[in-house]
Amino acid sequence: MPQDRVFLVVVDDSPERAVALRYACLRARKSGGRVALMRITEPVGLQEWAGVGALMQEERRQEAEQLLSALAAQVQELTGGLPLLIIREGDAVEQILEVLAEDPRISILVLATATEGGPGPLISALSGRHAGRLRCPMTIVPGGLDDAELDRVT
Amino acid sequence: MSVYLPIAEMSVDALLLLSIGLGVGWLSGLFGVGGGFLLTPLLILIGIPAPVAVASGANQTIGASVSGLIAQWRRGNVDPRMGAVLLVAGLAGSAAGTQLFVFLRSLGQIDLAVSLFYVVVLGTVGALMVRESVRAILRRRHAKPARTHQHSWLHGLPFKMRFRKSRLYISVIPPMLVGFGIGILSAIMGVGGGFMLVPAMIYLLGMPTGTTIGTSLFQVTFVSANVTLLQALQTGSVDIVLTLLLLAGGVAGAQFGAAMGSRLRGEETRALLGLLVLAVAARLLWDLLQTPGSLYFLGPAT
Repeated sequence: MPQDRVFLVVVDDSPERAVALRYACLRARKSGGRVALMRITEPVGLQEWAGVGALMQEERRQEAEQLLSALAAQVQELTGGLPLLIIREGDAVEQILEVLAEDPRISILVLATATEGGPGPLISALSGRHAGRLRCPMTIVPGGLDDAELDRVT
Repeated sequence: MSVYLPIAEMSVDALLLLSIGLGVGWLSGLFGVGGGFLLTPLLILIGIPAPVAVASGANQTIGASVSGLIAQWRRGNVDPRMGAVLLVAGLAGSAAGTQLFVFLRSLGQIDLAVSLFYVVVLGTVGALMVRESVRAILRRRHAKPARTHQHSWLHGLPFKMRFRKSRLYISVIPPMLVGFGIGILSAIMGVGGGFMLVPAMIYLLGMPTGTTIGTSLFQVTFVSANVTLLQALQTGSVDIVLTLLLLAGGVAGAQFGAAMGSRLRGEETRALLGLLVLAVAARLLWDLLQTPGSLYFLGPAT
């Protein structure tokens, strides 16, 4: 089993993120590989005061780091290995495509669907308009699966 | 195309007013601010009496702030508790400021006072902005932005209160003072005050930056609404024709500005804004210092 297979999970603020993360961890544990966590922060935009803008950027980055390191502990519990942590700033879809293009280690992108009202903006964009630009396969996990079901399918 | 402004009692070119509204609206969309701090002095510069300029400038700020507030509220970036504290103090401050305004007007010194306030505030703000940008352009900035999140003696005063959204547990006195001060400035200068409120919240109160913009918009919206109301009731100087023309230009300009804001990133834009602010301050100062064209004029005593 190649050690360098990486499952990329996008950490957003949706409830289905937990499902995608758990799926990726279980897959990584059972079939080998690592998990990468990616958090995309919103760009700050133009502020009247440069100091305020820089501070906002810094705080968003710190928040992202805190969130990712908390999730990294979960990942380590489930898989036994530390995940790769990626923090990017900008538009979510563009940044995902960029990371996939730049990092050859990433082999699967794991996304979970929202439980109601369409699959969610990332899946819509990546399976629709930007589908041709993906540089790796994409796994779509139904957001409604519970832990036992996730265990079964992995 | 001249229109007669009933309250200002003068004729002004409607296109000029529309383009001022457009320009200020553009800037406010670009930077996400009210823009009152440029609008009021520009109105004074084209000859509109200070009381009318202040009251109508406050009006314009509401339009810009409400739309910003709605967007920020939806994203949960408003700390309602901090907003309420700032607002209560801000309402008191704007009431006091309006009284001061009425008093200065009865002395006949209101034009001088408003201009002086603007020269001092715009001069300081403009100089700081230009300095910040020049430093950033020259890359002489420190790598890490300074964070003054230490508790100073101000935060340890009595009447402590927990602001959950801002993750703060501080005395209510500093936010009250900040809100009151901005309220006074809002009443006298016809500005929303967001450009001073945001740094004050971050550096004086130690709030996290995520909630400052939304919370300041919350305060600015209601305080400038209060200022407009009080000015209309007490000095009767809100000019509806002027306000409507400015708002029409402002709304259109804000849309352009907001659309460009995401593409324009750069210190240069900020430096230009700083220079513009400084230029307005310098012009106001010049008008105060130069010998008037006519030293005396005849008119009814006020």
